[in-house]
Amino acid sequence: MSAPALLELADDELILGWRDSEWTGIAPSLEEDVAFSSIAQNEIGHARALYELAARELGTTADELAFDRDPSEYRSAPLVEQRRLEWAHTIARHYLYETADEIRLAALKQADDADVAGLAAKMDREEQYHRLHARMWNERLRDEPRYQEALRELWPLALGVLAPEQRAELAGRVGFEPVDAVERDRQSEELRELWEEMTMVRRSVPGATW
Amino acid sequence: MDDQAFLDYVQAGGQVETGDSMPADYRAKLVKFIEMHGNSELMGVLPEREWILRAPTLQRKLALTAKVQDEVGHSQLIYRVVEDLGKPREQCLADLISGKAKFHNVFHYPTKTWGDVGVIAWLVDAAAIISQKALLRCSYAPYARIMKKICWEESFHILHGRDVILTMMNGTDEQRELVQEALNRWWGPLMQFHGNPIPKEDDPMYVWRIKSQGNEEARQQFLDGYVPQIWELGLTVPDAKLRKRDDGVWEYSEPDWDELKHVVTGHGPKTQERLAFRRKFLEQEAWVRSVVLAEAA
Repeated sequence: MSAPALLELADDELILGWRDSEWTGIAPSLEEDVAFSSIAQNEIGHARALYELAARELGTTADELAFDRDPSEYRSAPLVEQRRLEWAHTIARHYLYETADEIRLAALKQADDADVAGLAAKMDREEQYHRLHARMWNERLRDEPRYQEALRELWPLALGVLAPEQRAELAGRVGFEPVDAVERDRQSEELRELWEEMTMVRRSVPGATW
Repeated sequence: MDDQAFLDYVQAGGQVETGDSMPADYRAKLVKFIEMHGNSELMGVLPEREWILRAPTLQRKLALTAKVQDEVGHSQLIYRVVEDLGKPREQCLADLISGKAKFHNVFHYPTKTWGDVGVIAWLVDAAAIISQKALLRCSYAPYARIMKKICWEESFHILHGRDVILTMMNGTDEQRELVQEALNRWWGPLMQFHGNPIPKEDDPMYVWRIKSQGNEEARQQFLDGYVPQIWELGLTVPDAKLRKRDDGVWEYSEPDWDELKHVVTGHGPKTQERLAFRRKFLEQEAWVRSVVLAEAA
């Protein structure tokens, strides 16, 4: 698998992990606080493992890939970049992303590259718990108008997580009609703001060890 | 067992379980003490929370997220103990955000730099673990039992904090400066942390053997354990009077007890902002709790 393809996946996991960690301390219940923190740690752990694979090919390190690129170089999907510190959108994103990610990981588990296939299998073992959690919340909230609205709003962005040939399957799984996807090629203002914050300490003393 | 017999029992090292009969005053003191501990774990999340987003490496990000998650988990465990004593978690949270209930002084202060993040994880958690280890012998057995898990996890936080500090002290002059400035900021609150030096026999929490040591004993233990390490790293403790006497007792400048009182009664530099932040999210997500409660009904 090529480094750019690995980076797409790694950036998705990193940025989503960063967003999920924003719930620490303020989730609607202590149980969800702990749950979202675990999910965030898993996603960031996956990002790190993926960056390490890409870093071998690119001759750099996982931290340099995660922090030291210009925001315009990140390849994350607009779905994960959105800053929505509000439960209906958080759960809608969680449900849509985990459903899409399952389709993506199933394909990666069949990859010719043994490192990639092995990592995808390992990630999938953790992601299945995220899916259980996301489905539980989707069941709980599905009759809530604000949740339905959040799903509708995020649907075109969710399609953009996957390659075009995988999108019909996602539409089938979540029961929505295919629409035009919001692709990865655009730079969101929210990613730039997140990047400013997440690299703030690191940029304060360039080249230092932390 | 009458109140005197109960007192004799706990003072002789006896422990009490949830279903045992206990004096009303003992129960009330337990609730007050344990609830404040739960509140402190939960409010302790906020000073570190914003730095989760700014952690400078993937490893630090993971470690800090895990540490803060532990604190939320501790508050969950602790509120459960309070719940068994008769005060529901919802009520604890309501009293916390209304400003009625207290939480530890150190969580009322701002976290200005990544240096503060290291000092909090290393020294604030070190001060806290000294109090918490003394609770392993608490006369209320359910509280003593959860303290085993809590102390175990806190000891990892100290290692994480020390590693953050050590890395910065081995780094550039700017990084060392960040640590020294953070230590200067936190030293006052750290010296106030264990409370004023009232004789333990006059401390109702000790009389009931909820705590097993006095405030000054805890502070001396902190100084003895950590000042040598602070010095060894090349840091200066911002107290010219600080020294260890030949008899092993640490001398120090009188901590600012007025500041302590002022801060824990809701007047710390970040108290109101943090309570407002918590209130905002409790209100914003109230609908989620209604959905969950309706489902459970």
